[in-house]
Amino acid sequence: MTAYALQKLIREVNRDASTRRQFFESPLAVAARYDLTAAERDALIARDYAALYALGVHGLLLRPFSILHQVSEPDYLRAIRGEPRA
Amino acid sequence: MTLAFACALGHAPGITAWRDAAPPAQREHLEAAFAELRSRLGRARPDVLIVFTAEHWANFFLDHMSPYCIGRAASFKGPIEPWLKVEEASVPGMPPLASELLQALYERDIEPGFTDEMALDHGTMVPLHFLTPRMDVPVVPIVFNTLATPLPSPRRCYALGEVVGEVARASERRIGLVATGGMSHDPGERGHGRIDEAFDRAFLEEMRTGQTARLKAHTTAELGAAGAGALELLGWIALAGALGGASGEVLAYEPVVPWATGIGAMSFHVA
Repeated sequence: MTAYALQKLIREVNRDASTRRQFFESPLAVAARYDLTAAERDALIARDYAALYALGVHGLLLRPFSILHQVSEPDYLRAIRGEPRA
Repeated sequence: MTLAFACALGHAPGITAWRDAAPPAQREHLEAAFAELRSRLGRARPDVLIVFTAEHWANFFLDHMSPYCIGRAASFKGPIEPWLKVEEASVPGMPPLASELLQALYERDIEPGFTDEMALDHGTMVPLHFLTPRMDVPVVPIVFNTLATPLPSPRRCYALGEVVGEVARASERRIGLVATGGMSHDPGERGHGRIDEAFDRAFLEEMRTGQTARLKAHTTAELGAAGAGALELLGWIALAGALGGASGEVLAYEPVVPWATGIGAMSFHVA
């Protein structure tokens, strides 16, 4: 399944307060617990929403994840639509 | 006859999380409709709400998907979203009714998943925030997979609803039915913000007039064309199955751009 481990990680950050705290403290440590490709890990650590979306992360995982990181809706949509930043 | 109450309403997170982003006239119209539903629910005095709902990866994941899943827990915690502006609560469940529903469905060759542990996200918590703000009326959630293909067909969801309606009518309890979600929206996807008002109004009219043949003849492709989130209307179609052609009343519909969702609120004539 596309981006299975990546989506699983993002889902845990979204729904589990303890994983969320750990991820905000050390995203690399949380990432190390999941079987991610290098491209997935890089996109996750950089919080590159365009890349994460292109890798196959479902919108209902990615948008809540971006909300946790205070990303505005216009910025999120520009990223996943591949539009230039305002 | 103990089907005491039935309604359907949207559950967009913006309703609570970005409340003030909506144009005041739209927000006030919807909040007045939600308040009216709460008041009708109060008069109907249901012992329990069976909630036809959708979720957003709170419980379902690709490690194990069901077409639909019944929550048999003694209580449900929610919401999972810390940003929803709905206070965290523990909502009582009703395991005996959940078991009764499962038994009846399996006897009719419809086999939902079931779970004794389920978290609630905005798909259920936003509607409950308006309908039962004290979170004191027990719920039995029936969650539809609207997230990962293949999806259950509207025809099948309708059939599931028919059995739920039979159980409700035969029950000694006073049962309320609530469908949540929709209408047109494409949350988190490239079409986020697109609302198909014509689709929404046509669907509301089918629900209002109890057009059962039309409702179960929808396809998931047709619903999905109104945005991925419109697949949540599978829960409304299941409610239509439970109501078996009962007519309803549209209390409000608003295409709320800042909430990126067409939002309906309906009540149905069950008494």
